[in-house]
Amino acid sequence: MERENLANRAYTGDIDPELLDFLNQYVDSFIKWDLMRFFFNNPHTIDTVDNIARYAGRNPETVEQELAELAMRGLLEETHMGTLVVYALAADPEIRDQLARFIQASEDRQFRIRAIYHVIKGGY
Amino acid sequence: MQAEERAVTGVPGFDAMLRGGFLPRSANLLEGAPGCGKTTLGMQFIHYGATHGEPGLILTFEQFPEQYYRDAAGFGWDFRELERRRLLQVIMSSPEVTKADLERFNGRIAGLVSNMGVKRILVDSISQFERMTDDPVELRNLLHGFLNALRREGLTALFTREAYVLLGDEQREEDETESSMSFLVDSYVMLRYVEIESAIHRAIIVLKMRGSAHDTHIRQFEIGPHGLVVQEPFRGREGILSGTPQYMAESFIKAFVRR
Ligand SMILES: Nc1ncnc2c1ncn2[C@@H]1O[C@H](COP(=O)(O)OP(=O)(O)O)[C@@H](O)[C@H]1O
Ligand SMILES: [Mg+2]
Repeated sequence: MERENLANRAYTGDIDPELLDFLNQYVDSFIKWDLMRFFFNNPHTIDTVDNIARYAGRNPETVEQELAELAMRGLLEETHMGTLVVYALAADPEIRDQLARFIQASEDRQFRIRAIYHVIKGGY
Repeated sequence: MQAEERAVTGVPGFDAMLRGGFLPRSANLLEGAPGCGKTTLGMQFIHYGATHGEPGLILTFEQFPEQYYRDAAGFGWDFRELERRRLLQVIMSSPEVTKADLERFNGRIAGLVSNMGVKRILVDSISQFERMTDDPVELRNLLHGFLNALRREGLTALFTREAYVLLGDEQREEDETESSMSFLVDSYVMLRYVEIESAIHRAIIVLKMRGSAHDTHIRQFEIGPHGLVVQEPFRGREGILSGTPQYMAESFIKAFVRR
């Protein structure tokens, strides 16, 4: 257990604390990571689970839960339009800014390796 | 009608065909085969508006917004910067969601119209509405409702539509959406590939424009480094394989008169 924590720290120790917070708060699966990247690249998307799943190349059953969780945590906005439930990126500029920083940071291979390790470990 | 009152497209040569531009708050259909330049013309219309006091939306049902940013950049149009300045927004959605949004009081699109002062919208493409129903009457009602909602928002709208006819002289099949749309819209423009002396050219024609005179020539256009440029009409027989342009004109007219 202790050894594991040490190993964890070796990987995540160098992550900027703000980015580490972001990781802990939002990124507990690779699907979420993919969805975030998708919303970052296409920031004015507003669509249903089925369509977002199609765009992201995932199946709707998998994506549904992840979208709902991201909405609960405030990264996405969930809107009910009649019988449709649709998702869009939160309008909050601060959240958009954090997302931008995270996606930009993940262009860096070192950061990506650490972040991936963190996601695999399930955060802590 | 004076030119100032028109929604200038900024496509050289095309505005003259429209006698100054689209009519404000009108619904305009742009039809053509894949790759012939519909999205480019649409982006040009939106870019011109965004840089001339008429902010715009691009509503995409098939292409990722990132592709618009990229393609636009190829023509020297910085869509990301225009988005930052709140003069443009590329929205990806689906027909179902858009319909539901427009039916809501204070929906997203209505919000953007009031916050950004949006005046123009490109819907790329209306063909996606066909997925929503197999019933032609229902489809017509859907399209009608959609067009009216955009009119209510005061927008000058351009709808692209995929036509699976490659060359202008091919036989056209009966097509429900096309007949609905051509009836519902204020103007109807077609892009076509034309084969002349075994070279493929691009052609544009304004088939209809409600409440305005318009050019009735079939004109050639090119896609250059700054977008579409409309040129001279295909004229005379010199250098043109015998009959082809006439043939094409006839099929255009046949297709149009049939409605
Ligand atoms: N920067 C550019 N310069 C010149 N031509 C371009 C440029 N970018 C794209 N094109 C041409 O524009 C055409 C694509 O047009 P597009 O508007 O996407 O067609 P459509 O929407 O009708 O399918 C292609 O044939 C491509 O060769
Ligand atoms: Mg296109």
